[in-house]
Amino acid sequence: MIFYAALAVLAGVLVSLSRQINGRLALSTSAMESSFWNHLVGLVFITAVALLIGGLFAGDPLASPWWAYLGGTVGVIFIAMGSWLIQRIGAAQTALMIIAGQMVSGVVLDVVMGAPGNVWARIAGVGLILAGMLVAQTGKRKIRQVPAGAKR
Amino acid sequence: MQDRPANSIHFVAAFLTGGLLSLMVLFNGTLATYGSLFFASWVPHLTGTVAALLFLAVMRPKRAEAARPPLWVYLGGVSGAITVMLTSATLNSALALSGTIALGLAGQMIFSLIADMRGMFGLPQRMPVSRDFVAVALVIGGSLILIFFGGAP
Repeated sequence: MIFYAALAVLAGVLVSLSRQINGRLALSTSAMESSFWNHLVGLVFITAVALLIGGLFAGDPLASPWWAYLGGTVGVIFIAMGSWLIQRIGAAQTALMIIAGQMVSGVVLDVVMGAPGNVWARIAGVGLILAGMLVAQTGKRKIRQVPAGAKR
Repeated sequence: MQDRPANSIHFVAAFLTGGLLSLMVLFNGTLATYGSLFFASWVPHLTGTVAALLFLAVMRPKRAEAARPPLWVYLGGVSGAITVMLTSATLNSALALSGTIALGLAGQMIFSLIADMRGMFGLPQRMPVSRDFVAVALVIGGSLILIFFGGAP
């Protein structure tokens, strides 16, 4: 159990690590170019591992609906945005706001698609997240006002 | 507000980027219900490579520097690919989906804060202030409620 918990934490660390490395690449190139390399290098890596382990085309992949194949295109924009954001608002703010957006949009998607869930938990969760975003926002504005000579 | 309008734009952009992640989870997760977990990660990387090439051809973004960056900066994709493999292992453990997401959020947030404080990987150094920790506590707290009680991711 502790082993798997460590793996799950490590997976989160790697999400952040990947965004930082891509962000560093974007500093030298561009956000979209960093997204291209992220996908190409990832593709080569996954292909190699899949060839080693096998089972890439197991199941009935051709039966999946056409729109399920749009994930890659959305992913390209996602990675490019991460690279663009991390050099502007930092790794922590980027991660925090992306998490907030994922959670809130996840609730919206669930409600739209009629997925079952606890209404009160959804209200409380979304409320706390929005409050956190507000705190992050006002905090930033306050800090930036001080060097601008806006003391009161 | 008027002195830093760009700041709000970044926050809104990051929030919408999180929405893209929900779409990716939906699309790639649907692939995984028909094909293997490898397939559900292999396809978006393949179509993403093609899509990125098309975007580059249309946008033609300017390269920020003429000098070649060090080779390790091209390895972000490996880190992302390993993430998929790790989560597919933990999903099938007692952690299930909610535990995997919750611990992943913790790992992501803690490592991001450390990276900011130390200015890791050639990115600008940033020291979080107490308000930032309040924001983290609220957003992560709300996320945990949704994960464990809301029937989400």
